Amino acid sequence: MKGNEAIGEAAIRAGCLNYFAYPITPQSEVAEYLSKRMPEAGGVFLQGESEVAVSYMIFGAAAAGARVFTTSSSPGISLMSEGISYIAGAQCPAVFVNIMRGGPGLGGILPSQADYLQATKGIGHGDFRLLVMAPASVQEAVEMVMEAFPLAEKYRNPVMILGDGLIGQMMEPVEFPENFSVEPSNKDEWATNGMDTRKSDQRNLVKSLFLDPEMLNSHNNVLREKYERMKREEIRFENYNTDSDYNVLLVSYGTMSRVCRTAIDQLKSEGFEVGMIRPLTLYPFPEKAVEDAASKESCTSVASIEMSMGQMVEDVERSVRGKKPVQWFGKCGGEVPTPEEVIEFIKSL
Amino acid sequence: MISYILPIRIGKVDIDLTGIVVIVGNFGSGKTEISINLAVNRKKAGMDVRVADLDLVNPYFRTREAAASLAKLGIEVVLPPKEYLQADLPILTPAVAGMIRRPCQLTLIDVGGDDMGATVLASLADAFKDRKYSMIQVVNPLRPFTEDIKGCLKIRDEIETASKMTITGLVGNANLIDETTGKDILSGYDFLIHLSTESGLPLEFITAPYELIPEINPEHFSCPVLPIKRQLVPPWKKPSDLNKNRTEPSASRWTP
Repeated sequence: MKGNEAIGEAAIRAGCLNYFAYPITPQSEVAEYLSKRMPEAGGVFLQGESEVAVSYMIFGAAAAGARVFTTSSSPGISLMSEGISYIAGAQCPAVFVNIMRGGPGLGGILPSQADYLQATKGIGHGDFRLLVMAPASVQEAVEMVMEAFPLAEKYRNPVMILGDGLIGQMMEPVEFPENFSVEPSNKDEWATNGMDTRKSDQRNLVKSLFLDPEMLNSHNNVLREKYERMKREEIRFENYNTDSDYNVLLVSYGTMSRVCRTAIDQLKSEGFEVGMIRPLTLYPFPEKAVEDAASKESCTSVASIEMSMGQMVEDVERSVRGKKPVQWFGKCGGEVPTPEEVIEFIKSL
Repeated sequence: MISYILPIRIGKVDIDLTGIVVIVGNFGSGKTEISINLAVNRKKAGMDVRVADLDLVNPYFRTREAAASLAKLGIEVVLPPKEYLQADLPILTPAVAGMIRRPCQLTLIDVGGDDMGATVLASLADAFKDRKYSMIQVVNPLRPFTEDIKGCLKIRDEIETASKMTITGLVGNANLIDETTGKDILSGYDFLIHLSTESGLPLEFITAPYELIPEINPEHFSCPVLPIKRQLVPPWKKPSDLNKNRTEPSASRWTP
């Protein structure tokens, strides 16, 4: 399947029957696919008049306790960021998929990872975070989308799947996980899903407005505790060739990490060992894994390889804590670095 | 690994397509890989070949990515102006109408997916007027929406309505990219034979990945088999060399 189609199908298989979106390259195939599949599955696809509208359609459905998601690409996600802040502030679960294209502004339509900082640190106003997961294959995109719904409900917080344009556009064989729980678990405790259907007599109120400063402070502490819990329970990463005595450690995510794998395999055949940590969660970031891998005696330098102009490198530097020199290599705007370019960079270290 | 010379013809008969050949099908059915590989195959069979990239709906993985490799083989590729090559705008270059009015021995028109991709053909109605053409529908039964006969007939209707043209033949392209097996080719062929009976459309040819050709007995098929050398690959893989005719050990594959 094409990545965008697989993302749409994964949401349906995860029991999400509410999809609101606005088309934008390179993720429009999700809407194209779901415009056919949602009615078949008994769900709803409604195209909003803009991404801002979409973000509040998501808010409304999420507040009512429905599994809901949207997909967009960079400029569209920027428009949604206001609604995302409200959703996080009101502690509603929802899933956002960003199939990134080159920026800033309208940029271009080719693959990019330039929304790393936006997704992990700066989306919308206020003290909140998204749980951010980054797939490197269509199969992984499927699995992450399906896991994103229960995770969003666990934390009552938006979850973002951050994929570059290649994840949406490339075709790979996929298998959908079976026996997946599709029922939201805890919604009676907080959702405005109607007193008739709810088991408790408690009246639920969904809001992000807290005029009393003490209440707002304590609300923000509740949110903060959730993000600390994510750091304890949700960090995911993958090691590649870290059993070797590597001289260079790469940190790379998404499809960029697949280019790095090809480069690492090539260098290994030339007798040069390079290890890699691939973060699967970008927030929370696998700080300790990167620090530990950088601390290995054989490792003389660390490099963040990105399809952006030096964004993840900030998290890599923070994780390495000055123990080893940290470099950045990347390209942006749709020119995906080739394995040869990554090899040349590694050899220059 | 067995080393062998790849013949132009695999199967009982040669691919019998000449003049204007319009390639349509649902999203991701493999139209572009087929038009690139068909162009190369026919060129090597001695024909004059021209290809137009008419995919106005797909942002990545279009014929234009292989334009340089095709040009090296003497195959002309008609593309939108360079400054718009990476745009997601429906730009139809006037050169396409020209190549329809003055077709060469084989003029391939690679159209975008579904009825939406085929809509552009209706705007070329003047150029197509009174002109003989073949319009072939590519089917990969391992893709969503074309897993059954009903789905294939539905997309045929939708494409014919949108393009205001008539589909004249079928191409079987059963594949799971790198995970395709000989069994997939056989069951895909059986599906296409069934579809051909149901639709009344002839099966022009089927495809098989180049690497699988040694495993396939061409005598099994009543139609030609077009070997596919994959050109539209992600940046961590190399496209298969269109010039080489011998099999080589396959490059290391990425496993998730």
